[in-house]
Formats: sequence, structure tokens, C-alpha cells
Amino acid sequence: MSTDTTTPTADQPEAGETPESKPNFMRLFGRYLTEANSVMVTIYSLLLAFLIGAILLIVSDEYTRSTFSYFFSRPQDAWYASRDLIVESYTALFEGAILNLNTLDRYAAGTAEFGDLLRPLSETLTYATPLIFTGLAVGLAFRAGLFNIGAQGQMIFGMMGALIIGFALDLPAVIHLPLAVIAGALAGAAFGAVPGVLKATTGAHEVISSIMLNNIAALFLVWSISTEFLHSETKTDLITKPVDESAVMPKLLSGLSESLRVNWALLIGVAAAVFTWWLLSRSTFGFRIRAVGFNEHASATAGMRIGSTYTTTMAVAGGLAGLAGAALSLGVGAAGITTNTALEYGFDGITVALLGRAKPGGIVAAALLFGALKAGALSAQPDVPVDISTLLQAIIVLFIAAPALVKAILHLRTPRGGLVTLEAKGW
Amino acid sequence: MAVDTMTASPALVDESVPVRYAKAGAVFAALGLFVLVIAFAVVGGDDKTLIRFDKTLTDVEWAMPTTVVMAVLGALTAAAGAWMLAGIPKRRFKLVSAIAVTAFVFSLLFWAYSQPGTVFRAESILAGALFLSLPYLFGALSGVVCERSGVINIGIEGQFLMGAFTGVLVANITGNVYAGMVGAMVAGLLSTMLLALLATKYQVNQVVVGVILNLLALGFTSFMYDQLKKAEGLNSAFAVPTLSWGPLADIPVIGPVLFQQKIFVYIGLVLVFVVWFLLYRTRWGLRTRAVGEHPAAADSMGVNVNRLRYWNVTVAGLISGFGGAWFTIANSLAFSKNMTAGLGFVALAVMIVGRWNPLGVLAGALIFGFTTQVARDLDASGGSVVPGEFLQMLPYAVTLVVVAGLIGKAKAPAADGVPYNPGDK
Repeated sequence: MSTDTTTPTADQPEAGETPESKPNFMRLFGRYLTEANSVMVTIYSLLLAFLIGAILLIVSDEYTRSTFSYFFSRPQDAWYASRDLIVESYTALFEGAILNLNTLDRYAAGTAEFGDLLRPLSETLTYATPLIFTGLAVGLAFRAGLFNIGAQGQMIFGMMGALIIGFALDLPAVIHLPLAVIAGALAGAAFGAVPGVLKATTGAHEVISSIMLNNIAALFLVWSISTEFLHSETKTDLITKPVDESAVMPKLLSGLSESLRVNWALLIGVAAAVFTWWLLSRSTFGFRIRAVGFNEHASATAGMRIGSTYTTTMAVAGGLAGLAGAALSLGVGAAGITTNTALEYGFDGITVALLGRAKPGGIVAAALLFGALKAGALSAQPDVPVDISTLLQAIIVLFIAAPALVKAILHLRTPRGGLVTLEAKGW
Repeated sequence: MAVDTMTASPALVDESVPVRYAKAGAVFAALGLFVLVIAFAVVGGDDKTLIRFDKTLTDVEWAMPTTVVMAVLGALTAAAGAWMLAGIPKRRFKLVSAIAVTAFVFSLLFWAYSQPGTVFRAESILAGALFLSLPYLFGALSGVVCERSGVINIGIEGQFLMGAFTGVLVANITGNVYAGMVGAMVAGLLSTMLLALLATKYQVNQVVVGVILNLLALGFTSFMYDQLKKAEGLNSAFAVPTLSWGPLADIPVIGPVLFQQKIFVYIGLVLVFVVWFLLYRTRWGLRTRAVGEHPAAADSMGVNVNRLRYWNVTVAGLISGFGGAWFTIANSLAFSKNMTAGLGFVALAVMIVGRWNPLGVLAGALIFGFTTQVARDLDASGGSVVPGEFLQMLPYAVTLVVVAGLIGKAKAPAADGVPYNPGDK
């Protein structure tokens, strides 16, 4: 494996202006592109996932599939049908997530407001907000070697904690809103600590205990919504009371248009990411988390208490997921939460954390990407199946978690430090 | 390992010397007292628990006085706890705990079925329990084969989904329900093949990839479900007949439970013994267990560790894929999104309860099946004191308690989840 491995790829900018002999910029760049380092693995994972997504769209679309039945007599039919389907589907995702070209035309013609133009972006940020929190909740636990797939349940409890404070107390907004947010975080933390305590005291694997707690939390939510204490006084369907006006998250861009749903929770999310970054890389507790995640036996020998690290890490992670719940019940679900308010943000948090490689900055970026996917998929219904977002996410993180697979498929070279993956411990 | 030989010296421990079990004893004593309090304070003196043999002896009905039965069972539990507190021979501990747990569970059952309007329909409930234990059984057996070979299979849930979806799809396309079952098995096989490839050739972290494969299966089946909904007749329910063994089916209790079931039940029961036999009585089984416990040793004896793991995990997919067909075909249901509802993970817990042994898995699956069946029955009867959602939580709660190791620490195969790279040695 020496110098002549700069095989040109599709992504490589036109080479040839520069001489090939010395390791100049273009050459190094080419090497970088063909190496399985974490940046390129991420990019190739995204490309491969959208490619596989396109194939699945073609295979599963009835009309396009039918054009393949006479492929050999009229191949152009199959080609045009497939191309149109993919372009339409991915354009619909783009328009729902970033910029609607129709609205752009109307804006240019003067029939649409600037706020309408921002609508898709606002939706993307709205869906990204809970993902930042749940992504951080999974990512933080990852750093301690814990696989927290219980973010969904922790979020549900956070949602209920914030809701109860949000409607039961009568306070000025300055106190009420922060109090409700804190209640959400505490409820999530309490629920999140359970798998940590179980692991610390009995060795129960956190993956199983937290998935069980997810199911329990989902059923608990169904039951509690129907109780007299929480159930809406005015509506008959399964919905809770609305949160008081003083506890509702203010919208960020209400000055431009009332329909822009993105709210202050996004800022709290960014703050939480900064806090997590500080916690992990600047605090003693974060050092302990990373040490235990790296080698628990060595950490125990060094005098760290492994059990209490597991418990506190899971509690903090649960608190972060609880904030996602608070963001939901005080934000988009302020009119009352249903069993549908939580969607699957908790499970999506797993994919966010994996794509963000359990680093706060990466998690925010991944949350934005997956928030965009979600916003796009939801707005592109029913032309594009809504689960395309789940599917694409899962394929992306499958490649992220198995960089060796990407390396093998694309014949990439091994980077100097080896392949980077995330680890979770076995039984 | 070398450390173990220093602590374990079994020959020197006299199993007949009484030992105090403070924690377990206190728990059982408290549970027993709790039952006694319920029996005398909460349950009315005239309350009766009705037991009916609803399929064979329809005219027989036993009415048991709830207070008396609960008091006896509660006293039994408390006595077991007291004996443990006072000191109990070590070899008796397991038996006495089992009796205490059983007595406690039965006392709760008697209480639950003492509500007016509820009848313990013994035959339906036991037959249903066996049927409901099947997803746990298939999932856990698949897990046993994988983990005995040293690969953690957290993706059982995903294999269930793939099997459930493909089973219905193939049955609809071919018009044959048995072809659907084979289709489900193949779908399971393809899912585990991906896990096997990633775990052996690419040496990835099996827990992480397993969870991702679950998400992938969820996304894939939900996506395809939406797409196929547009086409007619690709997701209609298919049913398999209930087999009745003639006169055998009329034996009270045993007949409806064992001789009046769907083919899934018989395949499941046979499979338990087949997997047990293969694991403990054949050369393949010895090699598989060796690869799961100490791959380097197996390698030095000429076993190709990663190839054996690859094929074991791949073939295990046939079992979990067939378990997926249970959700749709055995229940005569069409596929719906996320219909497995976390049972794949419960199956993992069953595998742990069963100590990675097919026979233990059978016992664990039956317990979980029984819990699920009782919860459903109480929920449906509407006479339950507890809300239905809490009854539905039962299997999950039991899993939590079980995994938390109240029944003792389970020990996984030593090399479970550790990728084997021959170059490392």
C-alpha cells in the first residue's frame, strides 16, 4: 500500500492541473477521499444510504416496478420512471425540509411572505430540537460504555413531569416555564437512573432493562392520559389538559409568521449540547465517565466507583431525554399531549448519537440532518412513505457503526489510526 | 480463568449445613405477610374463586373460598421466608424458593380471579399460555444458538418483524400459508446473515449493530407496509388450522393444552429438544460451545471459529424468522407496523432466565406465556382491580425483575459478544 493509491472517485474534483509527482494538496486530498477516516465514512454512509433508499423506492413503487416487466423491449420506460420517481421523492423531501421551490416562486412574485419561505426550515428545527436532547442522552451514556436505548421512556416521563407542573401550578412565566422544564428533566433523570441502578447493583444489562422500561413508560402514558387528573376537561379523545400560557415555550420567529413553530427549546438544546461538551471534556465527572467507558477495570483500580458512575451517568442522560419531553409538552404539545406526541424521538436519538459519534457537536449536526429527514418525510406524505426517514437513518448508522463494511464496499484504505467505531459492552 | 480456581473449592462446602439467607428470607416473609393481610383485610369473607374446565368438562365448576386459599398460600410463603431467615440447608434453598414464589403467584391469581364476573377458565388459559409462550421460545432458542457460538443477537426483534412481514407477503403471493412460513424463515435467515457477516468478517460491536438492525427492520417493514398497502391483496391475513388429535383432545386439561393446538406449538416443542440434542450430544454442539467459551482453544483444535459462528448465526435466523411468522400467520393476522412490540427483547430475557440452555428456555418461555395470558384474560374479562395497561406491563415488569437477577446471577458463555480475530493470538 504505497503512493499510487489515489484512484479517482466520482467526488474527486478535476485533477490534472497539478503535477502528480509531489504530495501536493490535490494528491493529499485524493488520498483523504479514498481513506476510511471518520469524515469520509460519514459522507459515504450518507451517499450509500440515499442510493439504497432510491433502490427501495423503485422496487416498492408499483408503477415503476411494472415498467421493469417489459424492460427488454422498452428499457427507456423503466429508466425514465425510475429517474422521475427518485427525483420527485428526494425533491419532496428537500422541499419539506429546507426550501419549497413553489413558495420561492410565489415569494418572487410577491404573493408569499418571507415567513412562508422559512416554514420548511422551521419544521426541520422543530423536529431536530427533541433529537438534540435524546441524541445527547444516548451519546453521553455511550461515553461511559453504556448503551442507553431507554431515551424514549425517559422522554415520556419528562413529558409528563413538565406537563403536570405546566398546568397544575399558577405562577408568573418567569418562574413557571423554568420550573416546568426542570420538572421534566428531573422526571426523566429519575426514570433514567433505574437501569443505571440495576446495572450497578445487579449487573442487569442496560439494553434489556431500558427497553422494558420503554414499554412500561409507553403503557403508563396511555393509562395516565385517561386518568381524571390529566385528561382534558373539554375533549373526549385521549388528550391531556393544555399547559398554562405562562409555561408555554415562546416561539422564536413569531415576529415573522405565527405558523413558524420553532421555539426556545432549540436554544436550550444547543445550551445542553454545550453543557454536555463541558461536562465530558472539562469536568471531573466527565473524566470519570470517559475513564469508565474506556476501561472499567482500570478505573476501578484507580479508585473510581464504577457503580455510582453508571447510576449518575444514566441519571444525567435521563435528564437530557427528559428535557426532550419538556420541550415537547411545553412546545408543540402545549395544547395537550397525546400518545402520539412523543413520536419516536427516543429511538431516533440512538441513530443521532451514532451518526454524531457520541460527540456533542456531532450530535447537534446529526440531529439537524435527521430532523430535516423527518420534516421532509412528514410533509412529503402521502407521495413518499413516511418511514423513509426511519429507513434512511437506520441504513446510515448501520454503515457508521460498521466502517469496515463501507471500506470493503468502496475499496477504501485503512486510515493510520484504524477504523473508528462506537462500543457497547456485552452481558 | 486462573482467578476462579482460587475461590471455588466445591468439595469443601457441606451442602447440608444450615445457612442464613437474610435478604431472600426477608423478602419472602414480607410477601407472605402481605398476602395474609390481603386475605383477611381486603378480600371479603364470602368471596369465591371460580375454576372451570371450559373445553372438556363444561359442567364442572370449582368454587374455592378465596380467603382460605390465600391464607394458606400466604402462610406457606411466609413460612419459607422464616425458614430462610432462621437458616436452611444450602441444597434445599432452590426448592424452597421455588415453592415460595409459586405459592405467592398463585395467591395473587386467586385474588385476581375472586372479582365478580371473572372465572379462571383453566383449559383455555393454559392452552393460551402455551401458545403465547411461542414467540419467547423461538426468539430465545435463536438467541441460544447465536450466543452459545459467541455472538450476541440483540436483533431478534428485527428478525421477528422481517419474518412476520415476509410470512404474510409470501403467503399472499403464493396463496399457500406454508410457503409463507418458509418465506418467514428465509427472511429471518437473511437478517441474521447480515449480523453474522458484520460480527465475524467485519468484527463490529454486536450490541450496537444488533440494535441498528432492529431499527433497520422496523424502518424497512414499515416502509414496505405503506408501499404495499397501495396494492390490493398483498397483506391479507392467512390462518393455519388447529390440529385436533381425535380422542386425545378430549382428556381434561391435557387434551386442550397439548392435543388441540396449531402446528407452531408442535414445531416449537420439538425444536427445544432438537436444539438441546444438537448442542449437548453432537460434535457440532461441542464445537459450538467451545467456540462460545474459548475460541482460541477451539481454533487450536482445528475449528474454523469465524466460519462456524457465521453459519450458526445464519441458521439461527431460520428459528427467529419462523418466530416472526407466529405474529402474523399463527395469530391469523395481517402485518401491522411494529407489531412485535418489544417481545424480541423479552425473548432475550427468557434466554437469560433459561441460562442459555434450551430446556431452561422452555421453562422460562412458559412462565412468560402464562403471565401474558393471565394478563390478557383479566384485561378482557373487565373484572380486574388493576387497569388494563398495568396488566399489559406485566411481561415487561417480570423481565425487569428477572434480568435484575433476583433468581441468581446467570453466567453467559465466556466469549459471548467478543469478536474473534485469529491474528490476535
